[in-house]
Parts: sequence; C-alpha cells; structure tokens
Amino acid sequence: MHDLLLLIVGAALVNNVVLARFLGLCSFMGVTTKQETAVGMSLATTFVITVSCMGDWAVEQYLLEPYGVGYLRTVTFILVIAAAVQFTELTVRKVSPSLFKTLGIYLPLITTNCAVLGLALLLVEGKMSFINATLFGFASALGYSLVMVIFAGLRERIALATVPRLFAGPPVGFITASLLALAFMGFSGMATN
Amino acid sequence: MSQGLDRASSPEGENTIEAVAKVVAFEHGLAVLEPEPTGSCNGCMSAALCGTKTGNTSRLLAKRFTLADSAGLKIGDRVVVGLGGGSLMRASLTAYAIPLLTMLVTMVTIDQMGGGETRTMVGAFAGLAVGIGIARLSASYLAKKGDLSPRLIRRAYGPGPGESCHTDLG
Repeated sequence: MHDLLLLIVGAALVNNVVLARFLGLCSFMGVTTKQETAVGMSLATTFVITVSCMGDWAVEQYLLEPYGVGYLRTVTFILVIAAAVQFTELTVRKVSPSLFKTLGIYLPLITTNCAVLGLALLLVEGKMSFINATLFGFASALGYSLVMVIFAGLRERIALATVPRLFAGPPVGFITASLLALAFMGFSGMATN
Repeated sequence: MSQGLDRASSPEGENTIEAVAKVVAFEHGLAVLEPEPTGSCNGCMSAALCGTKTGNTSRLLAKRFTLADSAGLKIGDRVVVGLGGGSLMRASLTAYAIPLLTMLVTMVTIDQMGGGETRTMVGAFAGLAVGIGIARLSASYLAKKGDLSPRLIRRAYGPGPGESCHTDLG
C-alpha cells in the first residue's frame, strides 16, 4: 500500500505531467480561461487517460511484447486512445443524453492531447504491473487536473487585473505557468517515482 | 450546448455558462435549438466553399436540444441560453468520477487481498461497469431535477454567423 501511495504522490505532484514533463500544454493554455470548462476537460481527460493506460498496458503485455512488434507501439497506442475516447463518448451518451449534450464538446479534443500518449509510453518504459500502470495513469491525470484548475483560477484573477498592454493575454499566462512550475519544483525530493 | 462559451452571473449569483443558439423546429410544443458554431471558418456560410460545412452540420445535428420555457419563440429566432457552472461540474463528476472511483476501489481492494493480475483486471472492469450503472441512475436523477437543462436567458440580437458573410465568389 505504501508503494502505491508513493507512486500516486510521485506521478501527481513530483513528476507532474504538465509542469515537470511538459505534456498536454495545448489544453493547458487553451481550456483554462474559465474554471468550469477546465474542470469539465480535466475530468474527461482523467477518465480517458486511466482507461487508455489500462488498454495500452494490456496491448503491450499480450500483443506487442510477445510477438516482438514493439516498433508498432506508437501507432497501436494512438489507436487504443482513439478507441478509449470513442468508448467514453458512447458511455456518456448511453448513461445520459443530457450529460452528453453538456460534456460532449470536450471528448474529441482529448484524442489529440499528447499527455495521453506520453503517459502510455512512460508506463511501458517503467515496466509496471497492471495495478501500478492504472494508478500511474490515474495519478498523473489527477496531477494534470490539479494544475488545470489552479491555472484556470489564476487566469480568472489575472483577467480582472491591470496588466501592461504588451503582457496582456497569453504572455502573462506563460509567466504565471512558469511561476507555477517553480512552485511545483518544491515537491521534488518527496518521492522519486 | 457548451459551444461558444461565455460566462455571466445569474440573478441568483451563480456563474452561468452562456451560448447562442437558434430555434430550428418545434416538437411537442417545445422549441428545438441548435447551438451556433463559433469557429472562424465553420461559422461562415462560405465554409461550404472550403468543404468544412458538411461535417460540422452533422455534428450540430447531434447537439440539438430542447428548451422548456420556449413561449413566444418562433423558428429562426436567435437566443442566449445558459447553464449554471455548478451544473457542468455536477454533470462532469457524475459521468466521470463515479465510474473511475468504483473501478479504482474495486481494483485496489482485490489487489490488496492478493487477487493476482488477472483477477485485478477482471475486478477493475466489473467496478467500471458498476460505476457506469450508478452514474446512469445519478444522471437520470439530475435530469429529473432539471439540473442539466439549459434555460433561456435573453434574445440575441445582431446577425448570426454567416448572415453577414459574402457567399458568392464574384
């Protein structure tokens, strides 16, 4: 249990997918102008990352590794991610059409989020067990969500502040992101995974 | 519905996510609305010329929704509809957090009981299926309460996307 907790803290905070690994920066800058949309996108991404990590682990263990076709990894993982997104879209549509109408906009965006593919490749590199791979994906996605929500809150405040004209918009956003990354560096040393 | 998001405060003080939609039909006395596309290319009538319009239209058809308080509206009217920010958050939590949590709890429990990799995998998928069932019940409860339904904020004025575009090549 201790190992699992260490893995979760390491993936979510120490090696944060956005601020330490620099993955998923497109949605980090694009969907964080409003807190509600950031939360919607974060939860959808968390679900897709966790499900696709499970799928990618199974494909790697039962298909790519036994048959020695590791060179097809990237292509196969992209296929698994697209399938995970479709599965999520179908599930949400079946669970509640009202939910689908409200949340459906975020789902196609996730297929092109490089964090999903990056994490799948990282878990293969780490030669993890099934539970470790799933928790690694979930914790990394949790870290992604945490950063998205914090950054959206900061941007909402910055939008109301008086900013020099040259820094208004994305420039001040990037400066804020760099300060946030510095703050997250404080977590390094807590865990090594 | 969340396309072209804009945010305002409702009279109750709750943040509302707003979008512009157009009345396209009436079904059982309720107005059927289609959210307006906001992309710079897709929003223009000349999108038909660059071939982007067909795919976008089919996507918009899937996003049509009904509005309960549609008194006084007629086909072609443009209106601003709103959804509470809290509603979007509740919807997200219901759709994604419940299935994920049941899946992870089942998986970790089986693993801690020494279930082995195959049993953990089967347990994870069973937990996911149970979670989806719970999410479905929760979503129907929210829908009955009207938490997921957009409401009419005001009429939208000015030309809609494409109405001021040049559609001819000449």
